[in-house]
Amino acid sequence: MRIQLANQFMYRMNNSKSTEKMMKSTWSTTLAVALLIGASPLAHAQTPEELGLAISTQVSDQNDGFADSTSNMTMTLINRSGKKSVRRMRARTLETANDGDKSLTIFDEPADVKGTASLTYSHALKPDEQWLFLPALKRVKRISSKNKTGAFMGSEFAFEDISSQEVDKYTYKHLGEEELNGIAVHKIESYPTDKYSGYTRLINYIDKERLIGLKVEFYDRKDKLLKVLTLNDYEHHDAKHWRPARMEMVNEQTGKSTILEFSNYAFGTGLTDKDFSSNALKKLR
Amino acid sequence: MKNRRKICKANMLITTCAMLTISNACAEWSQRGDISFQVQGFTDTAQHSATQSFNTSLSGSAEFNRAIGENGNLTISPFFRIDQHDDERTHVDLREFIYRYSGETWELNVGLGKVFWGVAESNNLVDIINQKDAVEGLSPEHKLGQPMVNILLLKDWGEISLFVLPGFRERTFAGPDGRPRGFLPIDSDNAAYESNAEDAHVDFAARISGAVNEWDLGAHLFHGTSREPLLIFPAFIPTPFYYQMTQVGVDIQATLESWLLKSEAIYRTGDSIIDHAQLVSGFEYSFYGVAESGVDIGVVAEWLYDDRGDKADTVFQNDMLIGFRFALNDEQSSEALLGMITDLDGGANVLTAEASRRVSDKFKLTLEATVWANAEKDLFLGQLEQEDYLQIEFGYFF
Repeated sequence: MRIQLANQFMYRMNNSKSTEKMMKSTWSTTLAVALLIGASPLAHAQTPEELGLAISTQVSDQNDGFADSTSNMTMTLINRSGKKSVRRMRARTLETANDGDKSLTIFDEPADVKGTASLTYSHALKPDEQWLFLPALKRVKRISSKNKTGAFMGSEFAFEDISSQEVDKYTYKHLGEEELNGIAVHKIESYPTDKYSGYTRLINYIDKERLIGLKVEFYDRKDKLLKVLTLNDYEHHDAKHWRPARMEMVNEQTGKSTILEFSNYAFGTGLTDKDFSSNALKKLR
Repeated sequence: MKNRRKICKANMLITTCAMLTISNACAEWSQRGDISFQVQGFTDTAQHSATQSFNTSLSGSAEFNRAIGENGNLTISPFFRIDQHDDERTHVDLREFIYRYSGETWELNVGLGKVFWGVAESNNLVDIINQKDAVEGLSPEHKLGQPMVNILLLKDWGEISLFVLPGFRERTFAGPDGRPRGFLPIDSDNAAYESNAEDAHVDFAARISGAVNEWDLGAHLFHGTSREPLLIFPAFIPTPFYYQMTQVGVDIQATLESWLLKSEAIYRTGDSIIDHAQLVSGFEYSFYGVAESGVDIGVVAEWLYDDRGDKADTVFQNDMLIGFRFALNDEQSSEALLGMITDLDGGANVLTAEASRRVSDKFKLTLEATVWANAEKDLFLGQLEQEDYLQIEFGYFF
C-alpha cells in the first residue's frame, strides 16, 4: 500500500573505485589521499601535470597492502550557532585482489538508525555495487551508487569526499612548493574527471617528506571556494600505514563544519570475503 | 570494552553468575529499539460502530542480541501496543526469539523469526514467510514472529534457504472499536481453516537467491497455509478462512546507475482458490542533489496485476502506484514520501503521505496521512471512504 521509506540518508558510504595498481584505501586514507601527492624523487624533466600525476600515484601506492582494516568513527556536526550533533559508526574494509575494496559501515548513533549497515563492492571499470540493511524490516536493499554530491549523514562531507579515492578519478597539476604550519608541502591542483562531481577543482597540500595530505580546498561548480578540509593527528600504524585521527571539514559558504575522528584502528585482522556478503550484513550488530 | 569485560569477568563471574547459575551471564547484550506515542485523527464520521474521531496509543519495540559461545547467537525482539479504543490493537508479540548457529558454509536458525523477501515498493508478493500484523497499519512492514527451523547454505554466488514452519499465525485485524476498518469488523477469533490441522499445519518453503553484477535474483517455492485469508460470511459475519496452497515466485532487480528496475511474480494454486498469477513490476529513478540544493528526489512507478481480474480477492488486480520520495539530506534526516495507487479499471485511489524528521539525537517525529478517494464502486476500498486519517507519531529511540 505504502512505499517503504528507505533510510537513504547514509547509503553511499564508501564508494571506492580503486584500480589494480591503485591503493586499496580505507575510510580515512580515502580522505587523506584526496589530497595526496607527495615529495617525489621523480621531479626531473616533467611538466607540472606529469609531476602531479607521478606524485599522486606514489602516494596511492604507499597506501597499499593493509589486507583489511577496522576502525571506529565519530562524526560531529557543528552548525553556525555552534550546536553539535554526533554520529557514531564502525567501518570494516577488505582489500580484494585485482578489484576495488569491499567495505562495511555499521551505524551506532543516532539511535533511530542504530543497526543500519551498508555494504559496498567497489570496482575499477564498472559501477560499484551497494546494499543497505534496514534492521527493523530485516531487509537488505540494493541501492544505486551514483550519488556523488549528496551530504553524508547531513554532514559537510559529500559522498565523493568519503569514497575511496583513486588516481584515475582526477587529473593533476603541480602548482609549486610552500610551507604549511612549518611543514614543507607540495601544492597540487586536481580536477575531477567524473561529470557528476560537485567540484571544479581541489587544491591539495601534501607533506613532502611523509607523502600525506594535510589540507584540501574544494571549489564548487561556480569555482568559488566551498570547503576546506584539514587532516590532523596522523598516526603511523604498524610502522606502515599513515592515518589521520582527526579531520575537520569547514564549509566556507555556510559556516557549518564537521569533525571526523577515528579510533581503534586495526590492520590485518583476518577478515575474509564471507564477512562482506549480504548475509553477513544481516548479522551485524 | 575489553576492560569492562575483564572487570565483569573478575567480579561478576564469581558473584552474579554463580547466583544466576548461568555460565554466560557476563556476556554482553546489544540492544536497539523505540518507545512511541501515536495519535490518529479521523476526518469523517465512521459508517460503523466505532465513532471516535481521535485515537491514541503507545507502542514499544526492542531487539536484544548476544553471542552464545563461538558460533551461536540469540536475538529476542519483543513488541507491544496499548490502544485507547481497540482491544484487538492492544497486543504483544515476540517478533523474534531465535537462536542462530553459524557454520563455515551453512547456518541454522531455530525459533520465532522474521524474514524479508522481495524488491518492490508497493507490495511484496514474494514476502510470504511471516504473517502481517495488519492491525498495526496499512504498511506491510509490520509482521508477526513466525516459528521456524531454517537452514541456510551459503554459496559464492548467494544462498539457498530451506524452511520448515511448524505453526501458523493468524492475521490481526481491527476490532469492533477500531479504526480504520470496513463496515463490519472481521471476526478474527473464529478463523476457519481448510486443513484439519488448522494453525498447527506444518508449512515448507525454499528460496534460492544471489547477485550477478547489476542483477539481484531470487526464486522461491512455498507449500502450506496462505498468509492472506479469504473472507467467508457465516451468519453474515466476515470471518477469515485460511486455505492451503502451493506457490512459486521470482523476484528480480536490476540496478543501473540511477535506475532501479524491479519485478516480483507469483503463481499460486490450491483447492479453495482459482489458480492464478500475480505480478508487480516497475522502476525507481533518483535525481540526486536537485538544482544543487542537496535534496534527492526519487520517482517510483509500479504496476500491480492479478490475472483473475474481477474475480481476484486482492485489491490490486490492475493497479498503478506512482510515488515520490524526497530526502533533504539534512542534519535531521528529513524525508517525505507521497504515493498514490490507482485502480486502472475502477478508478479508486489510495493516497498516502509520510514525512519524518529527527528531533534530537534520541527522538523522531513521523506524520502519516491516508486518503481513499473515488472508491464508491470498489467493493473493498469503498468501505474505507469514510476512514481517511492523519497520524502523528513521536518516538524515543535507544
